[in-house]
Amino acid sequence: MKKILIPVAILAVLGILIYSKAVGTYNEFVQLEEGINGEWAEVQTQYQRRVDLIPNLVSTVKGYAEFEQETLTGVVEARSKATSVQIDPTNLTPEKLAEFQQAQDQLSGALSRLLVTVEKYPDLKANQNFLELQAQLEGTENRIAVARRNFNESIKSYNATLRVFPNNIFAGWYGFAAKGYFEAAAGADKAPTVQF
Amino acid sequence: MRYPSASKLVVVLALFLLQGFAFAQEFPTAPNPPRLVNDFTGTLSAEELGKLEQKLLAYSDSTSTQVSIVLLGSVGVYDISDYAFQLGEQWGIGGKGKDNGILILAAMNDRKVFIATGRGLEGAVPDALAKRIVNNLILPNFKTEAYYQGLDEATDMIFKLASGEYQADEVMAEDSPVLAILFILFFIFIFVVLPIIKNRKDNNNHMGGKGGGIDFWTTLLLANALGGSGRGSSGGGSFGDFSSGGGSFGGFGGGSFGGGGAGGSW
Repeated sequence: MKKILIPVAILAVLGILIYSKAVGTYNEFVQLEEGINGEWAEVQTQYQRRVDLIPNLVSTVKGYAEFEQETLTGVVEARSKATSVQIDPTNLTPEKLAEFQQAQDQLSGALSRLLVTVEKYPDLKANQNFLELQAQLEGTENRIAVARRNFNESIKSYNATLRVFPNNIFAGWYGFAAKGYFEAAAGADKAPTVQF
Repeated sequence: MRYPSASKLVVVLALFLLQGFAFAQEFPTAPNPPRLVNDFTGTLSAEELGKLEQKLLAYSDSTSTQVSIVLLGSVGVYDISDYAFQLGEQWGIGGKGKDNGILILAAMNDRKVFIATGRGLEGAVPDALAKRIVNNLILPNFKTEAYYQGLDEATDMIFKLASGEYQADEVMAEDSPVLAILFILFFIFIFVVLPIIKNRKDNNNHMGGKGGGIDFWTTLLLANALGGSGRGSSGGGSFGDFSSGGGSFGGFGGGSFGGGGAGGSW
């Protein structure tokens, strides 16, 4: 009787240990994932803020009739495209993120073309309304950069926790998968060329 | 075998120090003793530094809003905006939770300046206004090398914009009176009610007559003293609070920066 009891006790202790480890790991994953959801919400808020600024910018610039129409329509089109790509935080796969980023980068490109073109119009450049919008736009780009960095940091700690042994086994059981990073925009290392 | 382990420890410590050193080269560590005005370039005279420090300190004491000025040589490969946010975040300018810090960062060799607003002040000092402060107050002065003048005017304007947004913490503001009352009641119960109940049953206290135990007034005094000390220890001492009497800055509070602000170059 005693001989059976000892292995049973060992098994029971082992079982409790594994169970508590599994529960602890699961809770850790959930907390990290919630952190990411929060950061993602911040990223989207800041991108949304930029999208919301654009109608004002466009209407201010439109007042200068001679302004290139194609640059403006480029911004408007890129804006509508960027708003059409939305990601649910539960579905933050690398592919989805790349798609979202591509749409936003197009908008960034269109906006920077617009700002470069504005250089040719001294009246517009001196317009107080335009200057304020420009400051807001710059601030929004800064906020996007900060939100993206924070998002990447929480993705990093999530992925790192997920991939180490033995968490990778637990992650497989629970169905937690590694998530994608924001990458630097393609061509971001090249400064935009200014043509006069 | 104690000696090798000790030398290992020294190596590990040295590695940590080296790491800290490499880190410090990119972002200067928060000054110790803490100061609000930090000039790593020697641009401002000692008198100007003192005047700015006193001015910013008085504002921080009365409103809890921390405006900090940092002058350094170059921000290296960073955007000055990015550098300002990371430096402000690392030093923790502004109160924790309030995030009411502002960092005016000037890179003298890069000829660039940036005003970074903490998350809590983005409403009081929106980017467009920060841009105006930079363009109208800082840059014209910096162009003529009137650095003190520029910083003085800029901080004046920031004070105007940010005043009324936050109030200084009162030392006991966070204590709930309910807790203190419960605390006192607890002591009254222990030292007054319990002895009375006990004395009712057990009159054999060798003190001549009923009563005895501890005097009621002594108890009250004791309870007050204990209650008072309890309140004091929970109220003060946190890193974000500032002593109102002292003439020196108490340290940054752990504020956070979300990317607000504006800058320019001269």
